[in-house]
Amino acid sequence: MKGKIIAVIVAILSLSVANTKALSAQETSATDVIKKSLNAFYYQGSDMKVRVNMKLINRQGKERIREFVMLRQNEQLGGNQKYFIYFFRPADVERTTFMIWKYPEKDDDRWLFIPAINLVRRIAANDKRSSFVGSDFTYEDVSGRDVESDTHSLVREEQVNGRDCFILESLPREEAEYAKKVSWIDKQNFLPLKEEYYDIQKDLYKVYASDEVKEIDGFPTVVRRTMRNVKTGHRTEVVFDTVQYGVGIGDSLFSERYLKSPPRKWIR
Amino acid sequence: MLRRLTYFSIDRPKLTIVISLLVTIIFMSQFPKIRIDTDPENMLETHQRDRAFYDGVKGEFGIHDLIVLGITDENGIFSPSTLEKIQRIVSQIVKIKGVIIEDLISFTTTDNVKADGDFLQIKRIMGKVPDTQREIDRLKRDIYENPLFVEKIISKDGKGVAIYVPVQKKDMSYRISKEIEKIVEGKLDGTQRYYLAGLPVAEDTFGHEMFKQMGLTAPLTGLVIFLLMFLLFRKLTLVISPMFVAMFSVVWGMGLLIGLGFTVHIMSSMIPVFLMPIAVLDSVHILSEFYDRYPSVRDRRKTLMAVTDQLFTPMLYTSITSAVGFASLTLAPIPPVRVFGVFVAFGIMAAWLLTITLVPASIMLIREEKLERSLVQKRREGSFLDKILSPMGRFSFFGRRTVVLAAALTLALGIWGVSRIVINDNPVKWFKEGSKIRVADTVMNRLFGGTYMAYLVAKGEKEEAIKRPDVMEYIDHLQSYLEEDDLVGKTSSVADIVKRINYVLHGEDKAFDRVPKSREEIGQYLFLFLSSGDPNDLDNFVDNDYKDANIWVQMKRGENRDMERIALKVREYIRENPPPEGVRLQWSGLTYINKVWQDLMVGGMLKAVLGSFAVVLVLMIILFRSFGMGFISMIPLTFAIVLSYGIVGFIGKDYDMPIAVCSSLSLGLAIDFAIHFLQRFKRKYGETGDLERTNDYIFGEPARAIARNGLVIIIGFLPLTLSTLTPYVTVGAFFASLMIFSTLSTLFLLPALMGIVGGRLLKGGRR
Repeated sequence: MKGKIIAVIVAILSLSVANTKALSAQETSATDVIKKSLNAFYYQGSDMKVRVNMKLINRQGKERIREFVMLRQNEQLGGNQKYFIYFFRPADVERTTFMIWKYPEKDDDRWLFIPAINLVRRIAANDKRSSFVGSDFTYEDVSGRDVESDTHSLVREEQVNGRDCFILESLPREEAEYAKKVSWIDKQNFLPLKEEYYDIQKDLYKVYASDEVKEIDGFPTVVRRTMRNVKTGHRTEVVFDTVQYGVGIGDSLFSERYLKSPPRKWIR
Repeated sequence: MLRRLTYFSIDRPKLTIVISLLVTIIFMSQFPKIRIDTDPENMLETHQRDRAFYDGVKGEFGIHDLIVLGITDENGIFSPSTLEKIQRIVSQIVKIKGVIIEDLISFTTTDNVKADGDFLQIKRIMGKVPDTQREIDRLKRDIYENPLFVEKIISKDGKGVAIYVPVQKKDMSYRISKEIEKIVEGKLDGTQRYYLAGLPVAEDTFGHEMFKQMGLTAPLTGLVIFLLMFLLFRKLTLVISPMFVAMFSVVWGMGLLIGLGFTVHIMSSMIPVFLMPIAVLDSVHILSEFYDRYPSVRDRRKTLMAVTDQLFTPMLYTSITSAVGFASLTLAPIPPVRVFGVFVAFGIMAAWLLTITLVPASIMLIREEKLERSLVQKRREGSFLDKILSPMGRFSFFGRRTVVLAAALTLALGIWGVSRIVINDNPVKWFKEGSKIRVADTVMNRLFGGTYMAYLVAKGEKEEAIKRPDVMEYIDHLQSYLEEDDLVGKTSSVADIVKRINYVLHGEDKAFDRVPKSREEIGQYLFLFLSSGDPNDLDNFVDNDYKDANIWVQMKRGENRDMERIALKVREYIRENPPPEGVRLQWSGLTYINKVWQDLMVGGMLKAVLGSFAVVLVLMIILFRSFGMGFISMIPLTFAIVLSYGIVGFIGKDYDMPIAVCSSLSLGLAIDFAIHFLQRFKRKYGETGDLERTNDYIFGEPARAIARNGLVIIIGFLPLTLSTLTPYVTVGAFFASLMIFSTLSTLFLLPALMGIVGGRLLKGGRR
């Protein structure tokens, strides 16, 4: 008799354990998709060199231009990274350089070189969700957001432009400037094709779109993208001009010394 | 002829009532389509120069209207619990729909740029609530050390913080302010208070209050008028019809306005209040005449016919003149004023039509024996009015020279008063003193740099003009000059940002608290700010091409006069210190816009009044077929208007929007008595050919009608003075004073004048 009861209890317990496992498996698979997506989007190659053309377009259609070379070096896949940015335009900031040491789990280290007064300053900024050089992209949009900052769930699957996508919903664990993000992630190459950001008033306010994907050195790469703020009407269009992977940048470039005078070969 | 309408109504009273009821229902059916517009900006045409520029400025710099929330604590706000409350309040405010999240200015949403050893720190002023004394001291130091914050988000004494809440559209201000109230109210304790200020809240709240007032004061006014008429005429069924005339004409006027797709603006919301006295006016003349004649005729039909015969022409003319007075408002360059004028004019003619039909029809429905009982049997001989009126008439007639002399002196006094009139307005003052909004206005402007926003825009000819050091420096100096004035609490611009970055990059060295000398430096500092802060912070100050810069001028008072003075001051500064080449300055902002429409309104109203004065004069000449009579008929209204505005000048009441609107009414209302007086004087003189006898006759029934009317309107509109909104108070008080002067000048001055020149004029006028 007693044995029977125990057996039933065990059975119930194991059922519920299996249940939670099933749930967490679902969550894990969503997290996996995001991880894969981050790797495909921000970590291709051991390093990358790209000439970026950024157009900041306001509600009235007026443009501001940002043109820069961005160099990226991975420490490990999905882990720390270093970024070096050299500005060509706007004209009055030419020679300005910017360096980010990115750590997924804590605040980045950032340095800025201001040529007019020949000064390098370290910058301690708010958060990774602030605007990148005045554009609609945030620092996180440029270098990736820690997978652990949100809880992810797979909501459905659907086609975008003829490509099969996972649709994931990400909710920030701590209060962030967005309250919900929905991503359309390509099942094949794991690149995000579209993202929708909802603000704390529950309104859709930012929409990301990968406008063109090209395979470069074997890596599917988003070469044209747009981030549009639907509330303000402001948008930013980005074109990756000459993308190169595995160029052998080396660690020494990412130093204060080179911020002031970067080697010519890296900024052409 | 038009008189047939009255005869028809006497013959077919029930049909008349049914028809007017049906027409009223048709107009009423338009009411659900009502669209409300409480934005004083719409006082200007959309393409008006300053408004178009302001719209451009708002677009170019991404500027939104601001609600300013102040939170004060007598013990100072720098305690963990209070700071925590502020944080919680802000985090809930950003969740309100319609709040522009990224432009909200507060401790927890705005960045502070400061030096920290080797670091350039760009972080929220208060990233997390401090809990040790050391952290609190540090926060305090950070805030007070940054000139951009002092008196903008923190008061000098540390007892108040301000939170600037930008809203998508101004007409959301009232709703959002209510939601903010709900968030804040439960959270504060004994020593803490909150205040909501800023023009958008005042203007939008006014719109909401206005409708409450319309629903409250208009019926109350109606009730008082009704009671007064009952006291005068003692028969309920007799005095009920004027109330319907008033109500129906309001419904007709408003119904047509709404039906034609016009918005109900602050101005048009006053239509009911304006229509009521005019609608009642003619009815009281009929009732008065009927009431006095009935006892001798004792037949309602015959009495009505006689009354119509007596009153038809003067009533038609008084209505036309009043309508013309309002129609003349279409000359004003202010759209809501034009709409107001047209529909009041329509309402007046509707009231006339209803008076000559509905009032006789309703009298026809009262049974003869009832009329007999209340009008004949209950009547007391030698009423109160007669005891005053007839000596009055004799005094004026025989003491005519004294009366005219006294009148001339009074008029001179009035003109002196008029010359002292100060033209000034401020939408916040449309609320009574002691009201929440007025209190918030006082407190907030004492603690902070000012809740009245104006923008001084530096417009460059070429792109990047603002990055020029000479331009940047000019802006900086202009700001210092502005801030010397007590009225200007705070100014902010792109120059402040550049100076701040310069200072911080150079290790917070005071020597670098200035505009840098080179263009590159300026360009790169701005880029630095843009790259690490919130780009919107900069957008509010410079346009996309760095062609134009926007200097925010926060003022502690928002009266037109104050704005005018500051604008003059800046003009003077520009004359002495011309701006760098290729740059010019132009004012904008809500406070400035209010000044612009006020200027237009004063000029427009003056033109309208003068215009209608001329038209009414011509009408009077036609009516009396005499130039002299025409001129004399204009005298009482000239008196009434000059003296009423003279009082405005003497008591120091600002000539504001409501006062300006009253001027349009004054003409039509004030001429009414003169027309009745002179028209009947002329007629009687034609019969008798004797001035004294004519005068005695006039101070019988006709003067009683005038006095009754005067009483009804003077007292009837006093309830308006109880309103919580000053424009209604003003209108009520102004009507009363206008009617007092109009009654007095008609009853004193006209008999005196007719005594002097009447014989000559009327002989010439008689055929």
